[in-house]
Amino acid sequence: MNGFPLSPVPFPDPVPQPAPAWILWGLLVFTFMLHLLAMNFVVGGSVIGAVTARLGRRAGRPHHMALVRWLTDAMPIALAATITFGVAPLLFLQVLYGRLFFTSSVLMGWFWFAVVPLVMVAYYGTYLLAFKSASLGHWGSWIRWLTIFIFLVIGFIFANNMSLMLRPDLFRAIYADGGTAHGNFGDPTLWPRYLHLMLAAVAIGGMWVSGYGLICRPRRPEFGEWAMRYGARWFSGVTAVNLFMGFWFLFSLPGETMARFMGPVPVATFVLGLGIFAGMTTMTLMFLAANAPRPSPLVGCGIGGLLVTVVCMVLVRDQVRRGALATMNFEPVQWVEPQWFNIILFLVLLVAGTLTVVWMVRALVLAGRPGTEDGPVP
Amino acid sequence: MNYPIWQVPAPGLVIALVSIAHVFISHFAVGGGLFLVLTERRARQRNDALLLAYVRRLSRFFLLLTLVFGAVTGVGIWFAIGLVHPQATSSLINTFVWGWAIEWTMFITEIVAAMVYYYGWDRLPARTHLTVGWIYFITAWGSLAVITGILTYMMTPGGWLTERSFWSGFLNETYLPSLVMRTFVCVGLAGVYALLAASWSGDPRLKSKVARYAGLGWVLPMAVVVPLSLIWYLAAAAGAGIPAAEILGADGTGLPAILKALFTADGTTGHPVAQRAALTTIVAATGVILMTLFLVARRRRNYGPIFTGLLTFLALVAMGGGEWMRADLRKPYVIGGFMFVNGVRLPPPAGAIRAPADIQVNDPYALDVLRRDGMLAHARWSQVQPAAEAAALEEPEARAEALFRTGRELFKLACTKCHTTDGYQGIRPLVAGRSTSGLQTILGHLARPVNREGRETGWDDPDLRLATWRGRRMPPFPGNQAEQYALAVYLSRLGGDDRAGFERQQAHGSPAAGPGSGREETP
Repeated sequence: MNGFPLSPVPFPDPVPQPAPAWILWGLLVFTFMLHLLAMNFVVGGSVIGAVTARLGRRAGRPHHMALVRWLTDAMPIALAATITFGVAPLLFLQVLYGRLFFTSSVLMGWFWFAVVPLVMVAYYGTYLLAFKSASLGHWGSWIRWLTIFIFLVIGFIFANNMSLMLRPDLFRAIYADGGTAHGNFGDPTLWPRYLHLMLAAVAIGGMWVSGYGLICRPRRPEFGEWAMRYGARWFSGVTAVNLFMGFWFLFSLPGETMARFMGPVPVATFVLGLGIFAGMTTMTLMFLAANAPRPSPLVGCGIGGLLVTVVCMVLVRDQVRRGALATMNFEPVQWVEPQWFNIILFLVLLVAGTLTVVWMVRALVLAGRPGTEDGPVP
Repeated sequence: MNYPIWQVPAPGLVIALVSIAHVFISHFAVGGGLFLVLTERRARQRNDALLLAYVRRLSRFFLLLTLVFGAVTGVGIWFAIGLVHPQATSSLINTFVWGWAIEWTMFITEIVAAMVYYYGWDRLPARTHLTVGWIYFITAWGSLAVITGILTYMMTPGGWLTERSFWSGFLNETYLPSLVMRTFVCVGLAGVYALLAASWSGDPRLKSKVARYAGLGWVLPMAVVVPLSLIWYLAAAAGAGIPAAEILGADGTGLPAILKALFTADGTTGHPVAQRAALTTIVAATGVILMTLFLVARRRRNYGPIFTGLLTFLALVAMGGGEWMRADLRKPYVIGGFMFVNGVRLPPPAGAIRAPADIQVNDPYALDVLRRDGMLAHARWSQVQPAAEAAALEEPEARAEALFRTGRELFKLACTKCHTTDGYQGIRPLVAGRSTSGLQTILGHLARPVNREGRETGWDDPDLRLATWRGRRMPPFPGNQAEQYALAVYLSRLGGDDRAGFERQQAHGSPAAGPGSGREETP
């Protein structure tokens, strides 16, 4: 028998990489942030919506039900945004790290492929709730929790793949195990990584609620202020727990990867430090907003703080990946032939598409809702 | 070999099922977008409240079908090809990432436009609403135009093989006919979809109106243009070296020759699956046309969901058969002239653009390298005895068993992208009763490189054609002689010859280049 003298990391394609790595990396990070914000609305908004629907059953809680209505109506749109913004980072990831990503995907097999039908079922669930919630009766609650469960499972599958692709040392053992579906269940980073991300999604879902309250306040001050405080409670409460989860994730990393954040790699140390600082500051601001008579300025600052935190944490995630790649001697592709014309064409179309989207959404928002005279409705 | 194998039986079927569902819906999505906006304009110009209400109802169904099912199955294809053909997907991504990125900008605009169109019925002024509808259609068609370039490249990569440039691959020989054909398929499917939606209505006036408008104005144009563009497409494919006639068992690429062959072929030459798919498409498409004509002529005011459901099903079958045939015309390549379905690449053609001299780019998965070193020397995930070692074992039982195990692994590496053991394209019936030596001969003749005139040439000939055994469109066996023997032993045993592998066979291939001796790689 031969052993396995070949590396478990596949050989690069004999075709050139069509752009410098920094462009692909920049687009990967940027589009992943967009995906993350939309995904957090979907996961966090669904959890908050389900809990709020439960709380709102008691009499005298019209704000709860108004919030649930908004979350329910917005969910299909948010899910469309999540999928659309998710396509781009997956594309750029495949150019930069395809050799690892395709391998881990194949090893996961059906488990990875399950994302497709699961997203479809959950998507139809959100539309059912948005279009037919009045006639669904108690089934509405079941569908709501079912979609949440599916979202959490999808998140778990992604956490498996994103962590497994960083563990080529496990590839062979998993493949030798046979079968057509595997997870990365033996990896100590899996659970803290997953829980950290999902709790962050719920917290940021709370921030979306506060942000919605901020937009609503000029027209519906009572509801707006309630929503700001309510969302702030979710954010600050869940983030307080998530801080511990973040440290668990950090300490679960392999020694060499974790060490990057302790000084030897200044960028890693800086983004982690700034991220923790921004996260704690935002948590404090939102904690204060949850109890403030006029929460608007605090929520406004909180949103700013959150954006800084998200940017930092996405970069921390990237540093974790870089650390893992460094330990496995992952060599980037040498042959680079940038397709400059196509890159520029893409950027031009991206700007044109964005302007078109802004024009269409603006036209819709400015037109207001039918049957009302109040013009633009948030 | 470079990537692990997702060990599901007939993995190509996973791609086929997801792709056919997606292609059907996505063509609906393009044609339906045009149908919605033109029908809305028509209804508004004629002040036709009935038609306007119908279009409005249609738009919700459209939203639910295209945004959810269409968009998610589109992502699903990507998941499926990454699992089944990681090697090919990686090459495609590296070549066309900016094509997909450009398509993504259209996808975003398309999704937002579909939502604004639906949510804007009561909110937007008519003119703005129609503009949004047009934006939807233009971006949806733009997506189709981009993806068609990548799809057709996979069959006819044009000048890309030597130039390695995005546009020489994108604007390939079959791009334009394919785009015209797909555009009219979109138009036709939109008509089918309009009939299906109208069939639920209880109003005979609406049914009659839609029957004439959608049947005559949308479905029948497809019936005229698609066969014409199909002739154009097949001629372009043939010009690019695709032996369409041979695959379909015909003696020419004209429609009469192909039709004659499809209705009379006995499956002994060419690719039987492609022939069945083409026949299915023709029968189903004819059914769609006849049912539409019948509906318009005789049942205009009185057609129900069962009738239009059958019509839609036939359209799906026609479309699915067409896509299946397209995929089979591409065989034995997954990327024409570049990579076979089993992930083995051809050596770059003479004169092809290569990496700069200071960058070393090796390809251990090129056919010539694998034939020299043996597949198992570069099979990153295999752990079996090299074929030459197995064949050299003294003890007959142990030798036969080792050859069987090695042959089984080679079958997995080289054949399971298309064949199963007993299921879809099952190999067992194909090798039943065949001897090891007979199978070795067949394996040696699966595909040969020939030039345009049919004369033997090298695998790096820029004008390469394939001469395949009985026109079966199989890739050449990609291993060395010892591996060919081991695979033949495995297949022969599978076919019922229990003595296969017991014969004393001279192990082929030089020991220095044999399996197990070359398992190092130079990055």
